Amino acid sequence: MSVSVEQLLQQNSARLWRARETGSSAVAAMPAGLPTGYAALDRCLPGTGWPRQGLIEILSDQRGIGELRLLLPALAALCRDAGAADEIYPPPRPDHAGSAMPSHDRGSGGWIAWVSPPYRPYAPSLAAWGIDVGRMLVVNGAGATEWAMDQALRSESCSAVLGWSNPRDPHALRRLQLAAEASRSLAVLYRPLQAGLTPSPAVLRLALLGGGTEGLQVRIVKSRGGRPATVNLGH
Amino acid sequence: MAPLARPPFPHRVRVTPAFRPSSLSVPGRTPLAQARPRELWLAIHLPSLLLDSLRDVALALPGRPPVAIVDLERNGKIVRACEEAVHAAGVREGMSINAALALVPGLHALARDARRERQLLEAVAQRGVRFTPRVSLEPPDGVLLEVLGSLRLFGGARQLCRRLQQELADVTGVTTRFAITPSPLAALWFARAGPLGARPVFVRNRDELASRLALLPLDCTRWPERGVETLGTMGVRTVGDCLRLPRDGFARRFGQELLATLDRATGRVQEPRAAYVASERFAARRDLEPEIADTARLGLALAPLLEELCQFLRERGRGVQAIEVQLRHRAAPVTRVRLRFVQPVGAQPRHMAELLHERLAQLVLSQPVRNVRLLSGPLIDLQADAIELFAHDRRESGGNLPQLVERLRARLGNDAVHGLACVPEHRPEAAWRAVEPVATKPRVRRKAPSRSAAPNESSPSVPLLFRWDRSAARPGEGRPLWLLDRPEPCDVDRLVLEEGPECIESGWWDGHDVARDYYIARNAQGSRLWVFRKRRETAAGARWFLHGWFA
Repeated sequence: MSVSVEQLLQQNSARLWRARETGSSAVAAMPAGLPTGYAALDRCLPGTGWPRQGLIEILSDQRGIGELRLLLPALAALCRDAGAADEIYPPPRPDHAGSAMPSHDRGSGGWIAWVSPPYRPYAPSLAAWGIDVGRMLVVNGAGATEWAMDQALRSESCSAVLGWSNPRDPHALRRLQLAAEASRSLAVLYRPLQAGLTPSPAVLRLALLGGGTEGLQVRIVKSRGGRPATVNLGH
Repeated sequence: MAPLARPPFPHRVRVTPAFRPSSLSVPGRTPLAQARPRELWLAIHLPSLLLDSLRDVALALPGRPPVAIVDLERNGKIVRACEEAVHAAGVREGMSINAALALVPGLHALARDARRERQLLEAVAQRGVRFTPRVSLEPPDGVLLEVLGSLRLFGGARQLCRRLQQELADVTGVTTRFAITPSPLAALWFARAGPLGARPVFVRNRDELASRLALLPLDCTRWPERGVETLGTMGVRTVGDCLRLPRDGFARRFGQELLATLDRATGRVQEPRAAYVASERFAARRDLEPEIADTARLGLALAPLLEELCQFLRERGRGVQAIEVQLRHRAAPVTRVRLRFVQPVGAQPRHMAELLHERLAQLVLSQPVRNVRLLSGPLIDLQADAIELFAHDRRESGGNLPQLVERLRARLGNDAVHGLACVPEHRPEAAWRAVEPVATKPRVRRKAPSRSAAPNESSPSVPLLFRWDRSAARPGEGRPLWLLDRPEPCDVDRLVLEEGPECIESGWWDGHDVARDYYIARNAQGSRLWVFRKRRETAAGARWFLHGWFA
């Protein structure tokens, strides 16, 4: 028995995660994530960034502690990627005949969907973070947030889908996770801290704690392929 | 008009024409070039248009009395048309209604309705669109179809006429007469003159036109009465008699107009026809038997109507931007379900059904539905889409965003989905705007992101003393990421003011002027808030307000 385990370890060392192993080798084995823009957080995440597939849960009860700032560098990077694609495949010039109508296929990048945000995402501030405001899609989900997120994930027109909801139904969460797994969009669900007590199929769960003088604390509650950790991101 | 490679049947060769062409008709043209027509016109004549247009009104009359259509002219009611039974009793066109009543005591007079007549004519024209793209109206009671290109597709003239007859049978109770000739006017004349035999008149070659027209009475030309009367006194009673007259004399006595119509009828002169452009919309209904009370089955019941709509759009190569479903109940008022599409939608039954299903699922039916109607908005030309040669990533082109927006709107409502745009404006609440998510704004330059974001930077109202160097700060520092729709009163005693004040005083010109000192504050939980103090005292009392969160 022990021989076969040894064999297994040797054969599949790249695919097998060993809890004992911290740091480089195990982390490098995960598919590369989307850099969060915070080096301290990147180091703690498998794939050194936001997982590109699967649902990310951010648990927080407080407003204004940096719950959005946590995501913004990654979102800005997605907008930049889209911009780069623009330069390779330039969009049709506006002076071309027939493009007097609003064109849907302006070549630039994917959209960012905000489903049932608690307040207005403030456009000037987003623009200041380097986010293409013209590609925001704000959806008032009113009771159908998970459904709207699901639709946005399936449509493949969004490079990120952010939702604010606390699904009571575990099946709804499961469906969302499956949609996020199948889609190439960054899928983020904001839930209250209390939700951290119940299990979730999400690949990554972060609990945010503000307060005190040390600034934003990110506790990794669950991380597929990673380990629980606490990161202090400061102000 | 592409000439046929091979005529479907050999030309008829007339060795001795029934009528020898004389001075008025066209003598000895090169036979072959002339024989092959460039156009073939099918005329649809509606001989009883007046009666047909009011048929449903007549049928709805209690007791089904005999009916005559009257016109209010010359201080009295003049009979314009009447049913066969009434005609048999001696009532004639042009009689006064009193004379007609004397003959048929129970006669019911209906006033003619020009609008209904026009509608019926257009309904006929719309059926014609299925057979050829070139349709022309000849008011009041004629429609012309150019069918040369369609003959082969529909398997010859006889088949075409039969199919057309079938299609027109849908148009309630309309009586039609057909004729096919190379010239539109001749076709109309033949159709008006009525069937000489059981079959519609079919003249394929232009050479034959003059000789075939010769037998027609002059009534069918609808020339001015005086002219026809004068011709009659001269013994000229048919078109053939006319053609035999000398051209210049005919023109002198009866005018160039009439000569020109003769030339057009015989095909000597081409007649341009104004094309009929259907300003149509789709409408169809379906009675539900038994009545349907649940929305899922309603979706199934609507499927054939959607299919019909798509067929309708396919035939025209056009799309719609909006459709409406009307659900009729036994007693409750009509339930209307409107769908708007982001882009014009062509024949895509599945897409429509999907959206409709989404919308119907939201519906709470007060009563079972007994009847559904599907109506389209105005038809819109579809734009041909170019396909990307180097399709990099479907996601990056945002290609199916319109569909996503539609689907979301179908369930959540039109206002629930919007995009964002920055507005150069000092007042924070006016510095952004909800926009259509399709109308993308020019992208923010990456070089200097903080410039466009801080419109207050150059504001003269910002006291220089308190201006901090924002280019050195982290981007987005000056403005919160969450903005409250309506500032909430807040208790400033529990907050620590960290930065500020930033004075914003603007908007006196549109009545929404603000005069505020903004501060960035922190509460005990470590949240950062955007609060302001009103610079002017207000009656309401509260002076400090929360306007955003630095999320």
